Amino acid sequence: MRTISRLLWVISGFGLGVGTLYWFLTYEATGAVLLWFFGLMPMIVALWMWRRGLVSAHLAEDEPEADPSASAGEVVGSFPLMSAWPIIAVLGVVMAGASLVYGLILLAPGIALLGYAIYGLMRESRH
Amino acid sequence: MSRLRVRLAASSVLVATATGCSSSFGMPRGGTEQGQEIFKLWQIFMIAGIVVAALVYGLIAWSLIRYRRRRTDDPAALGRQFHLNVPLEVVYTVIPIVIVVGLFAVSFRGERRVERLVPDPAVTLHAEAYAWGWRFTYGDDGPTVVSDPSGQGVAGPTIELPRGRTTRVVLTSNDVIHAFWVPGFLFKRDAIPGRTTEFDLTPTDEGSYHGVCAEFCGLNHAYMTFTVVVTDPASFDAWLADRPSEAPTP
Amino acid sequence: MSTLVERSPAPQAPMEPERHGPVAWLTTTDHKKIGIMYCVTAFAFFLVGGALADTMRTELAEPGRQLVSTQTYNTLFTIHGTVMIFLFVAPFGSGLANYLIPLQVGAPDMAFPRLNALSYWFFAGGGLLVLLSGFASAGGGAAMGWTAYTPLSEARMSPGVGPDLWILGIALVAVATLLTGVNILTTVFLLRAPGMTMWRLPIFTWNMVVTALLGLVAFPPAVAAFALLLIDRRLGGHAFDPFGGGDPVIYQHLFWFLGHPEVYILILPTFGVVTEIIPVFSRKPLFGYTGFVLATLAIGALSTGVWAHHMFTTGAVDNPFFSAMSLLIAVPTGIKFFNWIGSMWQGKIRMAVPMLFSMGFLLNFLIGGVTGVMLASPPIDFQVADSYFLVAHFHYTMMGGAVFGLFAAIYFWHPKMTGRMLSERLGRVVFALLFLGFNLTFWPQFILGMRGMPRRIVDYAGGLGFDTPNLVSSVGAGVLTLGVLVFLYDLWASRRHPVAAGDDPWGGYSLEWATSSPPPERNFTSLPRIRSERPAYDMRHPGAPR
Repeated sequence: MRTISRLLWVISGFGLGVGTLYWFLTYEATGAVLLWFFGLMPMIVALWMWRRGLVSAHLAEDEPEADPSASAGEVVGSFPLMSAWPIIAVLGVVMAGASLVYGLILLAPGIALLGYAIYGLMRESRH
Repeated sequence: MSRLRVRLAASSVLVATATGCSSSFGMPRGGTEQGQEIFKLWQIFMIAGIVVAALVYGLIAWSLIRYRRRRTDDPAALGRQFHLNVPLEVVYTVIPIVIVVGLFAVSFRGERRVERLVPDPAVTLHAEAYAWGWRFTYGDDGPTVVSDPSGQGVAGPTIELPRGRTTRVVLTSNDVIHAFWVPGFLFKRDAIPGRTTEFDLTPTDEGSYHGVCAEFCGLNHAYMTFTVVVTDPASFDAWLADRPSEAPTP
Repeated sequence: MSTLVERSPAPQAPMEPERHGPVAWLTTTDHKKIGIMYCVTAFAFFLVGGALADTMRTELAEPGRQLVSTQTYNTLFTIHGTVMIFLFVAPFGSGLANYLIPLQVGAPDMAFPRLNALSYWFFAGGGLLVLLSGFASAGGGAAMGWTAYTPLSEARMSPGVGPDLWILGIALVAVATLLTGVNILTTVFLLRAPGMTMWRLPIFTWNMVVTALLGLVAFPPAVAAFALLLIDRRLGGHAFDPFGGGDPVIYQHLFWFLGHPEVYILILPTFGVVTEIIPVFSRKPLFGYTGFVLATLAIGALSTGVWAHHMFTTGAVDNPFFSAMSLLIAVPTGIKFFNWIGSMWQGKIRMAVPMLFSMGFLLNFLIGGVTGVMLASPPIDFQVADSYFLVAHFHYTMMGGAVFGLFAAIYFWHPKMTGRMLSERLGRVVFALLFLGFNLTFWPQFILGMRGMPRRIVDYAGGLGFDTPNLVSSVGAGVLTLGVLVFLYDLWASRRHPVAAGDDPWGGYSLEWATSSPPPERNFTSLPRIRSERPAYDMRHPGAPR
């Protein structure tokens, strides 16, 4: 994880540095704010990794001489092989979005469909 | 052998440079002093581009021919297994940096010259773009030339500029973003509603130049043309005096 | 239906038989199926965008009006640009990433399989809205260019529901990009196989990591801009309306802060593809792996600081800053060319179809890159910005570069995805037609731009030197189309008369070649030891020099 943390810090430093350089060269606010936020975003993840002690965590994937069996069978989650909820959720979003254009009559069913899909997704992952 | 190759490469660079300095690479040479600055930059960038492209193409062609798998080769044969060469990698990082720093320097100097505004322009031309036509006013309330509101002639409205004198163009738009582009001058500038932008044109060659709107501005964008005629100062003054100082609003 | 997901190689749990049929595809969360769906849908959008382009080229073949009305033409190029950028090249990269990344890092699936499915459906839904915005809209389709510059895209100048649908569609596609980006990063950071350190990741995966990061950086500001635009249009806002105190230049800043990283989002997957292919067909390792990865990171970082080179002619930005950044980005791109050449040097190069397309990519993209350096000089932009020179330039990078790379990817990984080879003979024909057609179409456009033809015009006057190049260009578009048709025939023929590919038809290097073709559900029944960036090569050449 050290490589990843380093990568995030470098990106963050680049964004903040270029943003600052840009600000003092141009005094143009839009671009400077965009660049500063570009610098802050990876910092959020990097700080989180640092606080959780993940930076020096020892994973088999970062061990150059690790054996393929080192993480075999380790459970990474419980997922359905198929799920209808994603397509239903997007159907709801498309309907709700189209309501802005084609008439608000589509809004309620769209949001209802999306809510139903979110509920379904959550129920599904409880297993 | 390798010395011969170096000599060949050097002489081809020389040939490229020599022909490059006289060649326009298909670009008009620029009918204004500002345009000629841009033309010089164009030549420099073009020569640099051709030299780099020739080198890279040469290396690719050499690799493909020299290191192709021949019919007589074992199908399972491997190439030489090497992973890196740090000095070489440093060289091919540093050389491009040197090239782009040089290009930046000439481009920076060129832009300063193109965008320089003289303190006392001989003519001030207010150009106002609208969808889909142009309204040109000489001075603050002098003669005005407007696009024909009835239709879109190919030539569009015709304005004249004096040769050898500097014209300050004050450009704006009254609806959407347009752009004032005279390809023969190698120059364009966006006309943004709510903003005014200024630039100088100092024509050097007499003639008629085609002008267009270069920023997509809606339905009849393609027909938003105009014509710039560069004449000697005396004819220009006569032409200007002939213009009525008020033209119908579009 | 729910199963525990375990790291490979998982103990041989009894697996459900693989499901087929439409419902299985519509509800799948398997990264391989989603990847294929992404690629197929994106390629369908390519055919749509190509048909639009052919219509435009026919219209422009000679001066005078021939085919479509001005309004229709303006819609054509708007939808052509949007489709090719947001619905073809970028999603095709996402599709390849979805399919390949778990295989290349040795993971059983993407980290969030259902999020993955959600992202595909967002893409498909958004794409549908974008198409609707052009063709089935009351009161006029979207006809404001793919850049949707304000105030042209405000309700006053572009009434009708077309632009609204366009905005919604792009917003959904943006969400899809964000979800895929998060998924890719999590998978690569946390689900690598033992021994697959970050510095042994296959280059395609590395490039997708940078692509995903760029997507996360670039899309949110643009979605904000589109949201503000929608508020302007529908709810009476004035964010970008100069007559209500707004500023159209801020729209351009927000848009191009997406727009320029976006071109690297389009090209980086292709860089990855070509970098996988060239070493395999040269029978050599990649030359300068570390330098290549650092160059990719440099491209990603610098690409966030060059956006306003699209605004050089506004007179409202700091041209030298953006000129310097844009010139600098040529350096890491140049480094990659030397990596590729170094990877062929002293190799045993086999000119199979994927390698042919990769060479086509190198030749075309170099011209795109060199003209890109010219466009980084603001004064040269004063002449060629918004002209056909620019159109030719970005088609040399996007079409000659990215699309040739994607064709290389199809010929390279189609055997892995389906277990069937594509025809080597037809592949050469496809390559020849596409390469010839492409250069015939876009080389004349450089000349058109220098002679002063602006982009996005439905018609041009005769006698300005535009006639011959336009005709040549239109003929070239015909040759290109023929090439695509032959390719479709090749796909069909490979289904009709299958030629079995075997697990590793090319002697590939990365992990996907160490499993079966097509790979089983959860990807691996056994993993080789990973001791370099070429685990499959090490497995097949024990004791060979590394």
